[in-house]
Parts: sequence; C-alpha cells; structure tokens
Amino acid sequence: MSAILKRDLRAYFTSPLGYVFIAAYIIVMNGTFYLFNIASSTNSIKTVFSVMLYTLVIIVPILTMRTLSEDYKQRTDQLLLTSPVKPLGIVFGKFFAAYLVFVFSLALTLIYVIIISAFGKVNIPSVIGNYVAILGIAAVYISIGVFISSLTENQLIANISTIGVFALLLILDLLYNLIKVGWIRVVLYWLSIYRRYNTFILGVFSVADFVYYLSVAGIFIFMTVRMLEKKRWS
Amino acid sequence: MIEVTGLTKTYGKKRGIDRISFTIEDGEIVGFLGPNGAGKTTTMNIITGYLSANSGAARINGIDILEDPVAAKKHIGYLPEQPPLYLDMTVDEYLNFIYDLKRVTDFKRRSHIDEIAQLVGIKDHMKRLIRNLSKGYKQRAGLAQALIGNPEVLILDEPTVGLDPKQIIEIRNVIKTLGKNRTIILSTHILQEVSAICERVLVINNGQLVADDKPENLSALITGDRKLTVRVAGPRENVRRILRDVEGVQFADVTVQAERGSYDFLVEAKPNIDIRKPMFAALARAGYPILQLKSMDLSLEDIFIKLVEEKKTSRKPAARPLNKPDIKLDLSEDIPGSALDLSSDISDDNSIPTTENKESD
Repeated sequence: MSAILKRDLRAYFTSPLGYVFIAAYIIVMNGTFYLFNIASSTNSIKTVFSVMLYTLVIIVPILTMRTLSEDYKQRTDQLLLTSPVKPLGIVFGKFFAAYLVFVFSLALTLIYVIIISAFGKVNIPSVIGNYVAILGIAAVYISIGVFISSLTENQLIANISTIGVFALLLILDLLYNLIKVGWIRVVLYWLSIYRRYNTFILGVFSVADFVYYLSVAGIFIFMTVRMLEKKRWS
Repeated sequence: MIEVTGLTKTYGKKRGIDRISFTIEDGEIVGFLGPNGAGKTTTMNIITGYLSANSGAARINGIDILEDPVAAKKHIGYLPEQPPLYLDMTVDEYLNFIYDLKRVTDFKRRSHIDEIAQLVGIKDHMKRLIRNLSKGYKQRAGLAQALIGNPEVLILDEPTVGLDPKQIIEIRNVIKTLGKNRTIILSTHILQEVSAICERVLVINNGQLVADDKPENLSALITGDRKLTVRVAGPRENVRRILRDVEGVQFADVTVQAERGSYDFLVEAKPNIDIRKPMFAALARAGYPILQLKSMDLSLEDIFIKLVEEKKTSRKPAARPLNKPDIKLDLSEDIPGSALDLSSDISDDNSIPTTENKESD
C-alpha cells in the first residue's frame, strides 16, 4: 500500500493535477476568507467552511478522476493486480494519496485561524470541530470519487460523473427542506451528507455524524475493492 | 513449478480457453505458441491472478493462485502483452516503485536494480521519462519490471515484440540465461523464437491445447528440411528431368522463372534422405549451375492447419484425453496446399486461426 501511496502522491505533483487542485482551492478559500472575515470584520469562520463544502464538490473530482481510470487505460492495473498486494491495499494507497493532497491544502487554511487570533478571539472548540468535520466529509467525497474512477477508464467521464453524483446529493439536501412527509424526510436525512454538516457549522461536534461520514467512506472503499476484484471475473 | 489443471474461461458465450492442463517443472523454459486470439494471454492472465478461470486451478510452487493470491504472486514476475508502465516516471523511479511494490527484501535496492537494468540493457536510459522511450526500450523496462525481486517463475507475453533484430537476439539470450534457474513461460507466434529458446512447446489454438512437445519434434516443420527451393541456370525441362532422376527425390517442379535463363524449382525429398549432395553432383555433371539453394521455411499457419486437422480427424473415431495430446509433429505427409503454390498458402484465406476470433481481454 505504501508504495502505491507514494507513487500516486508523487504523480499529483509531476502532473498539473495537484497544483490545479491546490490553486483552485486556495483561490476560492482566500477570496471567501477576505470577503466574509476580513472585509466584514468577523471572527466566525463558519462561512469559510460552508463555502469549502461546496467548493470541494467541484474540485475533489480533479483529485480522484484518474486514480484508477488511468491505471485501466495504461494497463498498469495489470501490474498492481498481479503484484503481491491485496486489492484493499491498492485502493487504500490511491485513496490516501488523494486524501493527503487534500489534507495539505486544508492545512494551508490554518493561517486564517492565526490571522483571526491576531485580531480577535477564536472559538477554538468550534474551529477544531469544523476541521474534523471537513476531514470526515472529504473522506466521503474522495471515496466516492475513487469509486467512480474505478468504473471507467476515461478520466473525463469519471470527473463529470463524480460532479454529477455530488450534485445529486445536493438535490437530496434541497428536497429534505421541501418535503414534509415524515418517512421520506428520514430516508433523505440518511442520504444527505450536507445536512449533517450543518451541525458542525453551528459549532456542535456530533460524534454520530462523524461516524456516519467514516462509515460512508468505508462503504465506498469497500465497493471499490469489489470493483477491482470483479475485474477478474469479467 | 507451475501446475495448471482443467482451466476454462468463458467470455459470455464464447469460450476463451477450454480445459487447459499442463505442468511445468522447475528450470524449464516453455514456449506458448499460438495465433492471435488462441487463448495464450488469457491463460497467462489466469496463472498470474489477473483473471479468474470459470473452472480449473493454477498453482505456483504448490500455492493456489485463488486461495492465497499474495503468496503465489510473490513467486511470479509477469510481463503482460502491453508492458504496464507509468509513463510519467523515469525508468529509475519506476523500477524503484516496483521494488517497493513487490516488497523485495532479499536484495539490496540499488545493486539489484542496477544489475537488472544492466541485464536487460536499459542502464543508459535510467534517467529518461518512460513516456519518451522507444517501443523497444519500453519493452525492456517492462521486462526489467518482471525481473525485480528475482521471482522463480517468469511469465512473459510476447517478450520480443517491437524489438529490432539485434535486440531480439539480446533479449533471447537474456531469457536463456535467466532460464537456467527459473521456470519460464513465454508466449509467441514466432516459430524461430521457440526453437531458439524453449525446451518444450505448448501449442494452443482456439482455446485448446493442441500439442505439448519438444521443439526437436517441431523442428522438422520449422526448418522444412525436406523441402528445398533451388534456383538453377539452365533449360527448364532438362533441369526438371535431372532433378527428378536424382536419388531420393520425391517431387520436383518449376515454380517461377527467376532470372533470365534460370528457374526456381521446388524439390521435395523422401523422408530421412539428404538430397543436397546428389542433387548438386547431378546438376554439375550436366553443367547447370546452382545459383541458390535454400530450405523452405514453413509458416506458423501451415503448422496450425496441420495440427488442427490432425486433431479433427483423430477426435472423431475415439475421444482422446484432451490434456494429453499425442500428436507427432513430423512431416510424413504433405501439408495441404503448401507444395507449389506458396503465395496463396501464406495468404489470408488459408490462415484460419489468425482471422477468427480476437483476444477479448
């Protein structure tokens, strides 16, 4: 797993992908931080995190679109699948490479906390809660992206479908607000990854919701492993 | 050691391979011979654990590839048909990655990689991006990949494809050297390759094992000892008469007018008789010089037609055990259509196996 992780992580920075992701992320985040914190002189960074959630919808597919599809295309999946590595190791390697790029970008936003603390008071528990929550939700995003990438050998299709799935999840979230029927709301609540995020933005750290994120990420990683194993039977 | 028993793989309704069984002992180099789409790649993919068979089993050094894939794969070095290269890495980075991926511990990283790079002849290109390598060097990088970790079993899918003639000889020598203490399967559709490297040949066609034999038994077919093309300067009829009168000649006729005043003759000897000397003497006595003399190479297609037809006829009366084909590869009979009309023989219409089904993996 570590060999694959290292290779993929390197690949992000020998191609434009890693740079594009980090640049896009930082530009949007810095803009948001300037508009909603500096220009409006508030110490609450909840807007930053709320915008981050939607920004990731667009840019996470950049990270995940080629994780497995590129391997299919170059036939390097044949190398990975005939090496003494379990499919889970392959998927974990790919997942964590993408995840680490995200974690690195996220770490860059810690500077906002430093800036705020220089000029005012930072609500430390709320900030920590937000960071942990975004780490959880990013795991969900990336695992979905990796899974979709395992379905096709075309990066573009992987990218667009991933955005599509994220958009679908957003729509579910909107439906939750519109529909008043009890049981449908329950179903929608379980499918909506955004709704759960609101709790964190409001400053409440919900262990249940965090576990929910990790479970969803786990399910998608498991399904990706199944996809790799299924290839053998094609 | 590789043990394959009753491997069957279907792609939808189409049979990829059908009940293939064989055992390869340690230190054997075995050639896997067959036209495109015969099932060579499928079989190799199953042995290496990339595909799974619908039934049957493959064991590497006694370890079943399905039961304990990680342990079995540790013993295998695999060079697939298309070398699995990361184009965005340099050769050096790539081989280092493979070293990590295979979790090699028995060899020191730097010296092991350098040794292999030296062996396959890619040492001078270590710092180049794989993307920028020529096909021949990509193939070498792929071969180097298979050798990392010094696996006891090597599975090479058309290892010399895309190389120039000099490189082909080099790589064949490398494989021969490696074969001294390893088990190697290599697939090819080049007959000479088999006779140059392999100790044993498995011929596969339409997903079935048609022959399992030593290349010596194939060699009669490969070299075509008994059929010669002779170019003689002299009047057509006279020369033909002289040739037919030579002791041991079974058949002789003109094929084409080669140069002005000379003709090409196809001469076929009776079994186990070398007619070259008496033929030379006879023509010399008559004063007709031999301008060219060569034995006729038979194409792979000829051999397949032969093998497949024998199989068909042998199957009808009594069903033979599929895993023990006892077809003898000799030239005791004429190969259909190959006598005079060489051009049509090698052309598409006769090469049944190649044009049919494509490999679908």
